[in-house]
Amino acid sequence: MSADLTFARLRSAGAASLRTRTILPPTVALSFLVLLIVVLWSLVPGVFTSFSPVTGETAAKLAAPSAQHWFGTDYLGRDQYARVVHGTASSVTSALVAVIIGLVVGSAIGLASGFRGGWVDTTLGRFVDVLLAIPGFLLAVVIVSSLGFQTINAAIATGVSAVAVFARLMRAEVIRVRRAAFVEASYLQGGNRLQALLGHVLPNAYRPVLVLAVLQFGTSILVIASLAFLGYGDPPPASDWGLLVASGKTYPTAPWLVYAPALVIVATVLAVNRISRWLRSTR
Amino acid sequence: MTNTYGRFALVRTGQAVVVVLLAYILTFLVISVLPGDAITNSLRDPQHGLSEADIQRIVAYYGLDQPVLVQLVLSLGRFLTGQLGFSLQSNLPVAQLVGDALPSTLTLAFTAFVIALVFAVAIAYGAHYAPGRWAGVLRSIPSFFLSVPNFVIGLVLIELFAFRLHSFTTTDPNSAAATLFAAITLAIPVSAPLAEVLLASLDHESRQDYAQVARSRGLTEAALFARHLVKPSALPSVAMIALIVGELLGGSVITETIFGRDGIGTVVQKAVTGEDQPVLQAVVAISAVVFVAVNLAADLLTPLLDPRVKINETVDA
Repeated sequence: MSADLTFARLRSAGAASLRTRTILPPTVALSFLVLLIVVLWSLVPGVFTSFSPVTGETAAKLAAPSAQHWFGTDYLGRDQYARVVHGTASSVTSALVAVIIGLVVGSAIGLASGFRGGWVDTTLGRFVDVLLAIPGFLLAVVIVSSLGFQTINAAIATGVSAVAVFARLMRAEVIRVRRAAFVEASYLQGGNRLQALLGHVLPNAYRPVLVLAVLQFGTSILVIASLAFLGYGDPPPASDWGLLVASGKTYPTAPWLVYAPALVIVATVLAVNRISRWLRSTR
Repeated sequence: MTNTYGRFALVRTGQAVVVVLLAYILTFLVISVLPGDAITNSLRDPQHGLSEADIQRIVAYYGLDQPVLVQLVLSLGRFLTGQLGFSLQSNLPVAQLVGDALPSTLTLAFTAFVIALVFAVAIAYGAHYAPGRWAGVLRSIPSFFLSVPNFVIGLVLIELFAFRLHSFTTTDPNSAAATLFAAITLAIPVSAPLAEVLLASLDHESRQDYAQVARSRGLTEAALFARHLVKPSALPSVAMIALIVGELLGGSVITETIFGRDGIGTVVQKAVTGEDQPVLQAVVAISAVVFVAVNLAADLLTPLLDPRVKINETVDA
């Protein structure tokens, strides 16, 4: 027990923490590898596949996975692997957009609410309560139906439905830090509110919020895939992962059309969640 | 004590009512302001086969020729008196559409809830007591469950149990077997956060002094679990009930679509694709009422179930 304690202290004490941190657990390293592939797929899809995601050879339709077509081919003979790779950019960027909306808007609300307190806190708090009163996925569905069926709108909808979570956490963190002695000290040194907020409160409150952002990235991929699955994203020939699963499910004789994109979604989200958990534990 | 609790209950209930009303207004604004004049556009769609007089009647009913604020007041007033309006697609009262769909969704949601509870308890108990490697495997299950999209779970279950093993048929989605598999689909993502919370509090409680004392009295781990650990470990999960209900309501859209069930989720989906605003508005409002009411019940119950919770803290939070 005491050995544990001293070791934990050592880890958080300067140089030693650097050394222990550079050794990644194998699952975390694997997760980073998965994410690297996903990022490369979205940036330079052409490097990973020579097949076109929109045109195929109808003669080779619904072919099972082979050395040539890793994920098989769909009902138009299009290479499913190429469709997945080319759909990555849209699937991943929209999740990123969603997280950024949630992070920026939610953090701003939480920051203002926790730092100012009083009527600002009450008003913003009620607004957050209202966002939380509508089940998240339902809220996203309503917003996307109102904005129109496009992937970018699905991303906005997912982002808005995540605002409340970020606002809650940021507010709690700011309230935790706000009363700390070093914040008081910055006022005593003649600092104004803005300096205290940006120089002392924010730097000490943002970490858990960033960890949440990573976790929320995984969740957003799932929500956006679900919206795309329901047909609320860009219509075909776009090949968002959720849409690929939806169009694949009409061909029960070609289950790879469902399983390949599904596996990609699961692997990506698992990787993101693993990294998020690792970030939380090495705080 | 009772006086403080009474005031707390009153304030919380008042807040809940305000939140529901604000949620209604927010939904109304999102649905009707953003796309412009969607109702009239969809009414003029020749597919509806509405006569000019019909359209005039509907326009007058919803106040569509008047400013949005007037429409909002009209709509809110009707909602408060329990009128939910009429579907633009089928002209049926929304209350009837929802009423017809409700039993199917309630059956699904309740079955899913029970399954999620069983899964969560099994995972938490297993992960806490299983030896070595198994504990690690069980501990990673919730994170895995949270990484698999609902629709993938549903499709895999259908592929495996309907097409391969013939445990149920997709043509009869309301049969007991089909309902069971739909409920499992819905239950898996719900069980994960529940299992995590149960496990965390089980880990925490079993390290407390009272647990050590009980062990020193010679209680076996099983007896300790049953007699002393279940109750305090279950308490934090009461606060999660709102999250669970939200997941069940939201997840039913996907699950019902995949399994071809006619429930609230299907109503939502049809309303979205058909731009049926009154139906969408009503379903969201009803969901918000259910959601907020469950949340309120959890908040009101917590101080009664756990005397350690101080009411003042909960009012501030």
